[in-house]
Amino acid sequence: MSLFDDNVAMIASKQPALADAVRKGRGGVFSVEPARSGLPTARLNGRWVHSAYDPVAEAAQWAEAQIPDCQSGELIVLFGAGLLYQAEALTKLLVGDFAFLLVIPDPDELCDAATARRWGPELGRWDWASGNAEAIADRIVSFKRPIRLLSYDPAASCTGEIRRQIEQHLQRHLANQAGGRVHVALIGPIHGGSLPLARYSATALERLGHRVSFIDHSVHLSSYQSLGTLKDPRHGLAMQSKFAELLSRVTLARLAEDPPDVVLALAQAPVILPMLELLRKKQFLTAMWFVENYRHLTYWQQLAGGFEFWFVIQKDGCSDALRRAGARHVCYLPTAADPAVHRPIVLAPQETDEYGADVSFVGAGYPNRRAILPQLLGHPWTFKLWGNEWEGAHNLRSVLQRQGARIDTETCVKVFKATKVNLNLHSWNGPGLDPEGDFVNPRTFELAASGAFQLVDRRRLLGELFTDGEVCTFASEHELPAAVGRWLREPEARAAVATAARRRVLAEHTYEHRMRDLLGMLGVHRPDRVGSLLGGERQAGRLASDASTPPDLASLLAAFPPTQRVDLKDLAGCIRAKGPTAQLSRDELLVLMLDAYREETRDLV
Amino acid sequence: MSRALVIQLARLGDLIQTLPAITALAQRHGFAALDLLCAAPLAPVARWFPGIDRVIEWDGASWRRYAEQWRSGGVRSLDEARRSMDELLDPRYDVVFNLNQHPRAILVAHLAGREVVGAGETGPLSSDLPPWGRYLRGVARNRRGNRIHLADAFCGLCGVTPPAVVPRLTVPQKPVPLDLDAVGSSTGVWVAVIVGAGAPERCMPIAVWIDWITSFLDGCPTGGVVLVGSGTERERAAAIQDGLPPVCLSRIWDACGRTDLQQLVVLLARCTWVIGADTGPLHLAASVGTKVMGWYVARARVHETGPYGEGHWIWQADRNPPQTWPVRESLTLLASLEAEAASPEVDGWSLWTSRFDRWGTFYVTPGADDNAPEREEAWNACSIGFPLGKDRPVAQSF
Repeated sequence: MSLFDDNVAMIASKQPALADAVRKGRGGVFSVEPARSGLPTARLNGRWVHSAYDPVAEAAQWAEAQIPDCQSGELIVLFGAGLLYQAEALTKLLVGDFAFLLVIPDPDELCDAATARRWGPELGRWDWASGNAEAIADRIVSFKRPIRLLSYDPAASCTGEIRRQIEQHLQRHLANQAGGRVHVALIGPIHGGSLPLARYSATALERLGHRVSFIDHSVHLSSYQSLGTLKDPRHGLAMQSKFAELLSRVTLARLAEDPPDVVLALAQAPVILPMLELLRKKQFLTAMWFVENYRHLTYWQQLAGGFEFWFVIQKDGCSDALRRAGARHVCYLPTAADPAVHRPIVLAPQETDEYGADVSFVGAGYPNRRAILPQLLGHPWTFKLWGNEWEGAHNLRSVLQRQGARIDTETCVKVFKATKVNLNLHSWNGPGLDPEGDFVNPRTFELAASGAFQLVDRRRLLGELFTDGEVCTFASEHELPAAVGRWLREPEARAAVATAARRRVLAEHTYEHRMRDLLGMLGVHRPDRVGSLLGGERQAGRLASDASTPPDLASLLAAFPPTQRVDLKDLAGCIRAKGPTAQLSRDELLVLMLDAYREETRDLV
Repeated sequence: MSRALVIQLARLGDLIQTLPAITALAQRHGFAALDLLCAAPLAPVARWFPGIDRVIEWDGASWRRYAEQWRSGGVRSLDEARRSMDELLDPRYDVVFNLNQHPRAILVAHLAGREVVGAGETGPLSSDLPPWGRYLRGVARNRRGNRIHLADAFCGLCGVTPPAVVPRLTVPQKPVPLDLDAVGSSTGVWVAVIVGAGAPERCMPIAVWIDWITSFLDGCPTGGVVLVGSGTERERAAAIQDGLPPVCLSRIWDACGRTDLQQLVVLLARCTWVIGADTGPLHLAASVGTKVMGWYVARARVHETGPYGEGHWIWQADRNPPQTWPVRESLTLLASLEAEAASPEVDGWSLWTSRFDRWGTFYVTPGADDNAPEREEAWNACSIGFPLGKDRPVAQSF
């Protein structure tokens, strides 16, 4: 048998169909040539996939860097096969109970690898997954093990999109697993637009059955604002900055008192880099949901490396910028609506009078809104403008409600309901529509969830969230008056669009969906920390039936309800409850010992 | 023949103060093996303890890691903890003498041995303290007049009376950096100055050190001063040297951050006196037979942490921070070795000197009596169940 046949035989023993595809393959994905060490190396589109000097040494170095993350019992999934040097090196170094799976989106790639060199016997331990994203994800899940995704990036460049799709399937799978309970500490801002989103997220997590410690810094608002009244603005800014530092320490104290599995900060939360570095040192898993336009608010640059995960409402440019600034994982996660808050309501007649109009806009007086909204004046329709920060907009004074006072969420919902055409104009500091407008604001989801009709400026990411039949758009400020006139003339069409929008929100765009995705994402990347929790592996019943659980601990676990999550401190508490004269087994003593060290580990203050 | 283990997981000073208990245990019981479990960084010191067969290193960092792994591995993370414990402490000891009252040490004691003596002897979950444990806790909490030295209370915890002779560490044979070889090699008084202290509030001001060293070298035509401290105290040592008259510098040796623990002991043993406020090195010096003069401020209390043995001197500050420092008085004392000549009436300070008898080490003001009845009473109260002056009978198992 030839070298190629020998290699392909290793695939055939596990995946005959893939072996056939490799046999029939033409190769040519990589250009293979000898390295200085004499072994074959390869290029992909002119760039080296493996070292031009010593691909084996390079692979060993890469594998060594992966080892600390991998936990016994996991399925190691490798993206970026190349000439399989990395797979071989990993198998040699990983000691413990591991299963191995190589993702092969293109059999021609494997054809090159099988032709280039004789594979080591270590590859006999690897399984192979090919086909579309869903098939590969199903194959990964079929192993029924915690999943560790690894990527050999130089060879994985051609698998980027399929990897993203596979991760999405895995997230969904994780999210659909019942019962797992995660403890999330959610850090809210002192004030601002992300504060209600923090509250919606906390509620959503609780509705999903998770435990939430909401660290609500809005209670410090009046103190924070009072610092801003110092006569010298420099003093005010300096004191507010120090105050934010203090709140950061308050957060640390709260985390130390009740350590969570995940620390999730919402944009504008008072966190500073040293705090994040300390949390990282203490092995806390941190994430930020940056529900801001990264082009306008740029403080992410100072914090990028501090959070382990970033969730953002924008895509490519945003992700690239964050990664350049040091972020390790960046994931797209649009905002959403809370249907318990933004819902269709019935208004009393006087409320309809007060809040009702043909056209309404609710929001702050950004420059583009000041420039565009006057176009809605002087038409045969009624127009009401709600919200604050409209000082100096004299031409809009006649339509400004409540003299530009800030209005609460409940009032917003009433305005949405009482208005025929709700205008949703994303904020921008320029004169017209934001030419780079990509993300979709929370208002879009809130209007839709309220069952209200909206006319929204066109956004690049809107199309993947709503269809044209669910949300109506205008592409330029000049189209706006005509669009308003048209939709005012079509009440039935408006109703149909609003109904469809609400249906879509309920199906896909609530904060429960977002939190499920967020935890799913964390679970895929941190199978040992979040994935196992979501999968219910810490539940008393599962722990008790685990073969590695000693009998004396299993009997302790039997005292808990089977679906209750049991942590080290719970088990230790159960042992301590035996009383001062109890005779303890060796494993019980060890549990108490680990618990004593756990308490020390959490010393953050 | 039984195997025994002593557990001392606390810091350097406490470890050195365990030496009398270990000596007494080794002398009084015919153990087949007497091992010592201590914090890993202190193991090199523990290996010089006479009477110890094996020093076992306790690596707290590993245990923190096992605790951390529980979050990812759950019950499975017990495997590694179990393996680690087996490697360290298997087979189990017949008796474990535990000197630390914190839960981790008590748990280790019960994991390591069949019978526990000392802290935790009534069970791993029991909050009852043995009499000597209650005594030490009372001293720590109330700062009440304590006349039993901590090292002797450790003996009590182990069920033995103090050894008849002050035990000494064997000075290791280890070369020091070449330029420090001159330390102690010529006649005259050699003083090791411990430039820092465990906590900033216990540090002597740099200006006081400059004054003290200048005056000492002025008054003592031969000998020299060795500056001792860790790497983090190098700047302090440099600041002291910057403030000294140039003529003094040829008699100053700066060892800060340049020695390991063994080399430090070698240097301390070559000196006539060791002075300073950091109790750990003071204990170390006393344990190799060097006379110690300590300046105790803040939480450092002479009766609890005065160096063990006879002939040491401690200046105890009555207030924190002290308003003045007994520079002249301590120099006079050093020159004459007579407390009366030192005029020890210094505002805000009291002077104590150590003595040694059948109840161990004790500190008294110069000229005071030996308060033996008071110490005998304390031993009587704490040594319930075995006759005063006798060792506690060992259990049937050993």
